[in-house]
Amino acid sequence: MSTRRHFMKLGAAAALAPAVASAQGAGAGRVVVVGGGFAGATAARTLKALEPRLTVTLVEPNPVYTACPFSNSVLANLREIDQQRFGYDGVKRAGVTVAETSVTAVDAEGKSVTLADGNKLSYDRLVMAPGIDFNWTAIPGYDEAAAQKMPHAWKAGAQTVLLRQQLQAMEDGGLVVMSAPANPFRCPPGPYERASLIAYWLKIWKPKSKLLLLDAKDAFSKQRLFQNGWAELYPGRIEWVSLSQGGKVTSVDPATLTLVTEFGSHKAAVANVIPPQRAGAIAAQAGVADRTGWCPVEPVAFESTLRPGIHVLGDAAIMGGMPKSAFAANAQAKVCAAAIVELLAGRRPQDPILINTCYSLVAADYGISIAGVYHPDKGLLADIPGAGGTSPLEAVGGLRGQEALYAASWFRTITAEVYG
Amino acid sequence: MYRGLLPGLAAALLLAGSATRAAEPPPNGPLGGPPGASSCTGCHASQKIANSEIPRIAGRKAEDIVTFMRQYRSGAWPSSVMGRIAKGFDDQQIDAIAAWFAAQPE
Ligand SMILES: Cc1cc2nc3c(=O)[nH]c(=O)nc-3n(C[C@H](O)[C@H](O)[C@H](O)COP(=O)(O)OP(=O)(O)OC[C@H]3O[C@@H](n4cnc5c(N)ncnc54)[C@H](O)[C@@H]3O)c2cc1C
Ligand code: HEC
Repeated sequence: MSTRRHFMKLGAAAALAPAVASAQGAGAGRVVVVGGGFAGATAARTLKALEPRLTVTLVEPNPVYTACPFSNSVLANLREIDQQRFGYDGVKRAGVTVAETSVTAVDAEGKSVTLADGNKLSYDRLVMAPGIDFNWTAIPGYDEAAAQKMPHAWKAGAQTVLLRQQLQAMEDGGLVVMSAPANPFRCPPGPYERASLIAYWLKIWKPKSKLLLLDAKDAFSKQRLFQNGWAELYPGRIEWVSLSQGGKVTSVDPATLTLVTEFGSHKAAVANVIPPQRAGAIAAQAGVADRTGWCPVEPVAFESTLRPGIHVLGDAAIMGGMPKSAFAANAQAKVCAAAIVELLAGRRPQDPILINTCYSLVAADYGISIAGVYHPDKGLLADIPGAGGTSPLEAVGGLRGQEALYAASWFRTITAEVYG
Repeated sequence: MYRGLLPGLAAALLLAGSATRAAEPPPNGPLGGPPGASSCTGCHASQKIANSEIPRIAGRKAEDIVTFMRQYRSGAWPSSVMGRIAKGFDDQQIDAIAAWFAAQPE
């Protein structure tokens, strides 16, 4: 469908919407969803599945979504970037109107959003799932131009391909330097999975090369499992420098691929800087982000505690104990969609239970996981005590291989649910 | 091998006949399923998809789902991840989730 036709349709829908909504009576209404990632696309199609009379519009500027989970495998040549790409045909077939543009402003009082072309959409409930943006002023020297020399590859796509090309072009013996940010950030185990899979690839293709991982933290997700795996599979190849050992990057020089820390400077052959992050910029514009840059929400319907009528999902939100993962984004979106249907019908949503599981690959056939189960407790989404945890440190009978297969199954299952 | 062990053992125990009684499906259960159910489909596909190592549970007998969950929770049956997940649910919650999945199309 052409963009122009699309806008005309949206314009007409928006103009008719109040009359339509009242004609439909209780239980129906208009929901606008901002962002077609794991959170937003799930929310949009679940809303439509649960209450077909709803008018659901998903606003997303990219015609094709590029998924981050398994993009570290693309770096290691285990997958192609095309396997990370998903279109919105399935979402459209589910009855969702997809507007291929971005939201430039949110009027929480007037309950409407402004699109990039100036058109407006009114809503009864707004779901915001804009993911993350980078804090381009946090590391002096690391701006958008620098990311062309020292890719972050923390939004999958062109950046992933660039980092892979740089690795392949590197001389054997060259030093790969990565930097990981302080908490919170997208995908807590992600930098360590990436270090693992780059080491896996170096071991085969650049056997004289090493990887230095500069960290702004003293501890990280699944740390012992990762470090045991590194010792077992890549002895001496990965050096992790913690915060207290001087791992925090204080500036970079893209011209010389140098990362500077309080304790010294490191010149890289290939540099991967994962910068500090915050909620996607539209969240701050809408008034749903707080001073941390992230969005506080209540733990039942994930409605903003700053702007009523706006629900925030996925990486952009502060979800108590839940990490910023695609699994969590999808789980939150399903709970939120059910809660919105209840709220629009004038009923109180049930207290939810949510699961998160993050699989990571230490090698192509070596998987580990961390899981958690969460419920609302004292106004926050809290871990249910006694549940969750990581894979065992001692693996018996092919467990790591089996978890690598389950990881791939999870990705196929979730992407089929969201985009299929 | 780790994987072979599981279905065999599970089948044997299921055949041995569990005394577990699953709750009746709620007449018009809360939309989107009882608490926790919608998270299960992140791994257990809600629709038939090709090529998953993780079995589907939609349309399975409620008492079988209940048995699996309780055995995973106690650690009596080995698992890679289900033990860690099942520990987040009490008997009533498991019964409700099992009834809901049993009522879904296979
Ligand atoms: C290397 C890497 C590996 C990872 N591995 C895993 C893993 O194994 N398992 C896992 O569970 N998670 C993993 N993650 C994390 C996962 O990718 C994120 O948690 C997930 O993408 C969050 O989903 P989201 O919908 O909140 O945000 P996103 O997926 O970022 O989607 C946000 C969408 O909003 C759109 N948008 C932004 N602003 C606007 C606007 N103003 N108007 C309209 N649209 C807008 C964007 O275009 C984007 O499509 C990984 C991440 C990385 C970087
Ligand atoms: C992170 C992925 C994941 C999530 C989430 C998950 N499961 Fe599982 N499930 C598995 C895997 C993997 C197995 C195989 C056993 C194992 O290794 O843990 C399994 C096995 C099962 C089985 C046995 C199926 C069979 O035929 O052998 C049942 C029943 C089950 N899960 C129910 C549930 C329920 C109910 C939920 C939600 C409360 C749930 N699962 C959530 C991954 C998951």
